[in-house]
Amino acid sequence: MISLRILVFLIMFSSIIFSSIILTILDIFPPQKDVRPLGKYYLNYSYFEHGNITRTAKSPEAVTAIVWDYRGLDTLFETTVFFLAVMGGLTLFRVEKADLSKTRIKYIGMTMIVKQATKILAVLIIAVSASIALHGHLTPGGGFQGGTALAIAPLLVLAAYSKYILEEHGLTYLKAILIRSISLSMIWIVVLMPALNGYNLMQNQPFYPGEIFNQLISGSLFFYNLLEYLAIGMGFTAVFLYLSIPEKIYLEELRSIESEKG
Amino acid sequence: MNITMVLILSIYGIVRKPNLVKKLIALTILGDTANMFVIFIGYRLIYPVIPPVLPIIDQNRLIEFLEQAVDPLPQALVLTAVVIGLAVNCLIAFAIIQMYRLYGTVDVRKIFEKVFPEERV
Amino acid sequence: MIILHLIMLLVSSILGLFFAYMAITEKDLLKAIGFSAGQSVAYSLIFYILMAPDVLLAYIAVSVGVYTALLVFTVSKTTRYEED
Repeated sequence: MISLRILVFLIMFSSIIFSSIILTILDIFPPQKDVRPLGKYYLNYSYFEHGNITRTAKSPEAVTAIVWDYRGLDTLFETTVFFLAVMGGLTLFRVEKADLSKTRIKYIGMTMIVKQATKILAVLIIAVSASIALHGHLTPGGGFQGGTALAIAPLLVLAAYSKYILEEHGLTYLKAILIRSISLSMIWIVVLMPALNGYNLMQNQPFYPGEIFNQLISGSLFFYNLLEYLAIGMGFTAVFLYLSIPEKIYLEELRSIESEKG
Repeated sequence: MNITMVLILSIYGIVRKPNLVKKLIALTILGDTANMFVIFIGYRLIYPVIPPVLPIIDQNRLIEFLEQAVDPLPQALVLTAVVIGLAVNCLIAFAIIQMYRLYGTVDVRKIFEKVFPEERV
Repeated sequence: MIILHLIMLLVSSILGLFFAYMAITEKDLLKAIGFSAGQSVAYSLIFYILMAPDVLLAYIAVSVGVYTALLVFTVSKTTRYEED
């Protein structure tokens, strides 16, 4: 009566419990109770200036300070790698403009309950994602987290209504790719501007202001979060728009190429 | 224990299942488990433990913040790893769609027979 | 009180192992995608107990939002059931 998969799973479960009890009794790998010295340095000097450190990252959130200030070059090239991956994907789904306007399938969408719920939820998701991204230097969050949350809102509208509603209301392929490219080039400008005025590359504190109108901004961390939010959200939207083109267009093109050759 | 078992399961899933989409699912599970292992190294087993965010901006409370917070460095490195894993998995998914258009099937053994029709394993 | 954290960690890891095992040995690909999303929710509980909120927000948006949508698009353009 018990199928083979459940039996194998129960064997694995009991072996895990047995081996972990044996490891705890023998005390082979005790978990640590103190932080490593490098982590302690980052925790100590990420907001206050004391001892003989005179310049800090001015943000009470240690993880965002490490990601965009102490190890900023890692994150810069990670964003570029993501840009290249989306660009490679969009190349595969390229189609001529004349073919695209030829096939428009009449699609009614889901039922009325789903449509009403989607109207409320899409606006809520945009507001929450903007809050996660722009408060990245004060609370956990940041640019990348808000960007992927922003990509869910057009996906919901695409599932409940159809793709053509999105295009009629102004979110075309060209606009998404344009916003993404402009945000990425502005990230590179924010990186290069301290170097042109005599400081190091990607330097935060003396060049960018730490506080504006008595609100804590942490220098360039705020601008990085905002621009990364826009770049990643629009990148995913472009990918989903291209993925939902119906498959007939590509199959016709491949058949026509094969009949020309053979 | 648990992490070792999930790693062995996902490597088994990549090697032995002949469908390409199932290989992609097992690859995502492998990446997520490796990231969880890195964060598990940066944890400390004491009782009042807080994430590495300064709650009240006051220099007198710095000492007790240092005694209770968790290591922030593995979390920053895992953020980069998640994004790069996402980029690679996206490209593999696009490649699978293109392979279906060209060969008509997503089964690895049948693709092998179509590309090398004279070899017998 | 530390026992409570450890018990929650144990329950979430066993749930994660269960969903990962069911996802890998399942013939219907849409059900496998659903199990993979369940495994991501169990893993994000583990990330919260290990006190890493930045990683949790990034991971849950990516794994439950983007991977599920991407894989459902891929399965709808190829075959649904796995052959023997």
